[in-house]
Amino acid sequence: MTRRRFIVRRTAQALLVIWLSYTLTFFTLFVLPGDPIYNKLHSPINPLPPEAAEPLMRYYNFDLPVVEQYLLSLGRFLTGDFGYSLQTGHAVSELLAEALPQTLVLAAAGLVVALVLALTVALTAVFAPVAAVRGVARLLPGLFISTPSFVLGFALLQVFSFRLGWFASFGDQGWKTYVLPAITLGIAVTGPIAQVLLTGLGKASGQPFVTVLRAKGVPPVTIAGRHILKNGSIPALTLLALTVGDLLAGAVVVETVFNMTGLGMITQQAVRDQDTPVVMAIVVLVSATYVLINLVTDLLYPVIDPRISIAPPPRRRRRPAVVREPIAVPARDLGGREVTA
Amino acid sequence: MKHLLTRPRRAAALAAGSLLLVSALSACAGSDPGIKPAAAAGAPVHGGNLTYLDAEIPISAQVQESGYWQDRAILWNVLDRLVYRNPETNKLEPWLAEKWTVSPDGRTYEFVIRDGVTYSDGSPLDVESVKRNLEWQIKGDPDNAISPNPIFPKAATITTDAASRTVTVELPKPYAPFLGVLTNWSSGLVADKTIDASREDQLKFKNLIGSGAFVVTEETYGKKYVLSARKEYAWAPPSWKNQGAAYLDTVTIVPVQEDAVRLGTLKSGQGDLLRYIQPSEEQALADQGFHVVARSGVGLVNQWALRQVAPVVQDVDVRRAIQHGIDRDALVDNLYTENWGAAQSLLSPGTLGFSDKTAQFAYDPDESEKLLDEAGWTGTDDDGYRTKDGKTLTVETYVDVFDNTARVLFQAIQAQLKEIGIHLDIKETDYSSYGTKAYGPTTAALRTGWPGGDPAVTLWNTYRVEGWNSASLDPKDPAAAQITKLLNAAVDATSEEDEAAALDKAQDYLIDQAYAIPLLNDSQVYVAGTDVQGFDLSDGGLPEYHNAWKTED
Repeated sequence: MTRRRFIVRRTAQALLVIWLSYTLTFFTLFVLPGDPIYNKLHSPINPLPPEAAEPLMRYYNFDLPVVEQYLLSLGRFLTGDFGYSLQTGHAVSELLAEALPQTLVLAAAGLVVALVLALTVALTAVFAPVAAVRGVARLLPGLFISTPSFVLGFALLQVFSFRLGWFASFGDQGWKTYVLPAITLGIAVTGPIAQVLLTGLGKASGQPFVTVLRAKGVPPVTIAGRHILKNGSIPALTLLALTVGDLLAGAVVVETVFNMTGLGMITQQAVRDQDTPVVMAIVVLVSATYVLINLVTDLLYPVIDPRISIAPPPRRRRRPAVVREPIAVPARDLGGREVTA
Repeated sequence: MKHLLTRPRRAAALAAGSLLLVSALSACAGSDPGIKPAAAAGAPVHGGNLTYLDAEIPISAQVQESGYWQDRAILWNVLDRLVYRNPETNKLEPWLAEKWTVSPDGRTYEFVIRDGVTYSDGSPLDVESVKRNLEWQIKGDPDNAISPNPIFPKAATITTDAASRTVTVELPKPYAPFLGVLTNWSSGLVADKTIDASREDQLKFKNLIGSGAFVVTEETYGKKYVLSARKEYAWAPPSWKNQGAAYLDTVTIVPVQEDAVRLGTLKSGQGDLLRYIQPSEEQALADQGFHVVARSGVGLVNQWALRQVAPVVQDVDVRRAIQHGIDRDALVDNLYTENWGAAQSLLSPGTLGFSDKTAQFAYDPDESEKLLDEAGWTGTDDDGYRTKDGKTLTVETYVDVFDNTARVLFQAIQAQLKEIGIHLDIKETDYSSYGTKAYGPTTAALRTGWPGGDPAVTLWNTYRVEGWNSASLDPKDPAAAQITKLLNAAVDATSEEDEAAALDKAQDYLIDQAYAIPLLNDSQVYVAGTDVQGFDLSDGGLPEYHNAWKTED
């Protein structure tokens, strides 16, 4: 299969995934108890009179059969019309345009923090000359995983904002806005990446080619940086793609603690208020982001390891495109992501 | 208004682990938090910005629909009303209506509208504008999916006379709460441009064009809402100390949803004012020089409606047992401060129709036990709860998502009711499904009771079967007709005395039949920084920025 065909095929799959996400979310929201109009009519602090229901239902097309509502909503979506928030009246596209850049910067910064930390921890755990240091480094991924983001966030705010005054707890301060949230978010996702990277590096460092390189007198730093890291990071790369989901999910907590109005906060508020148009748009956006990153990851495998190439699936198996190793290499685990020898 | 003096007890266990960690790290960071003693009040200082940290994100500026506290807080400062209720005296004062008369039959109201008032877009607030606003409130705008205001009368004929600046409202029948309704946060007047705006635009705060002392000049959803003072403002209610433009240049409203972050932001001087703290925090802040400002608003007290869809509370003896099984003084002593109080009736103290009815629902566990025995709940299960025909005496309730002290309050009541053998089953849900679940077929106790512009109309709407029917009575139940009759008598009254007497009777019935269980005199608590002066609350506990200023450092 050519790279172009692979991309076309995966794009079609991505569109299918997005459509399924949209459909599933639409009907899930429909069957959940209550709806925004019901909530307005029964708001404990300002219930609306029953006669208000009919105009509201008509205005938002809630009086139509569910399938008709679905088709109407989908049709608008396909033309780029995300509609308006039921609660705030803001155009959903405006809300997303406002929130998305903030979350993307936060997620990117968090990812950088996670990568730097994970690499540092993994390299230390594998290559540190002192056993005790290696032992401590091996404990860190577990510590990162078990530290709740909100606790870490509060602690950072307490020290660096409330006490030292280095960062404001709300508002725009340019790049400084993202420092504490990125550290909080980054640490939350560092654990799994560091753990997998550590294992990958450990396995790669025991391979025969390392012995050969050493015998040829290649400097240890070159062996570690150019050969072991490259081979040992494939499983971590797979995990990295999945980490995007964690970053977006983690943004909900982090944005709340740091008072940022990104996608996480918008999501939390929209779900809370059953703001259907906003929830639908976010689901599509996140689905698209997810599939796009997974596609990019698949395309990156051959770049990192030239022995891996995009290959057609076996004829009788109707499965997504797989990457495989076309040449015979010594049997070894490359991360278990449909890699065949 | 009360300023905190006494030491509260700890309400509930806090998130110990996280706080310990935070405290430990804070200690490591050293340095004083910068808390200063309260500055002495002097001459008001003009200018500056006050940063208000709200606990929630403002949602909707649509006048008839907005009901969240954070929405009301903006509406209160951006819109003016025809009538003002002095929060200290509870008496009505002129505002945009410089005077008014009510006919003896209670059907005709004549308002003389103040001259020279303008909306923030420059358009005049004249008799035609008042007429249009009143009609909009009464009828809504069905084509634009705008609801009628639920507290306004259902119909009225409104005429104007521009020469005498008079607006005359003819009601088909008396509506005693009308003047009180006109003081409500949702009764603010808006310019034609707001009324003519699409539904979506009406939901946005920037499109809220009022005649208030402030105008919304910046709105970034979830992030920041800036209110700027109108320099030409000169039509404050007579009791306001400041009769001119607001002292502050701007008020920046920043939603900070995490309690600990909000408090830390205020303490570190990054904010000037906040809403919502746990009662257990009040004393410590007062000790540090912060101004703890609280008001128990006009309207209904925090109460339970016992819903008749739940079979367990269909027996009046069980309802009365619950009523006498709650030790309200102990609740206040153990969980709250002097800013709160044990409920003495269904209406809050000082409001029309209030009288102390504590004797009717006094804490009396022996009486509760006797009532439950008589009701046949004589068995006991393994957990010590009463049973009848093998069934445990369980009363289901949901923690109110709009009340930040509801969880600990309900847990304390749960412990008290356990003493008499009643299992209070506390359930929790989120905002999105609270309306459905709390009003579901198994919920026996529903938390209700909020401040409102007029207590009569709030009580009338809350318990009448044709209204919100909080006790979920079957319309065929004779009690439903009785409640409607008693509450209608209050609303149909043609004098304050008659209205108060009717409210008294209605409360007697609701308490005697234990459809309503009074709990607490609720309070809205704000904390202002040491340099904030003159900050006050409305009769409903909403922030009033007009008289506030910040001392110069």
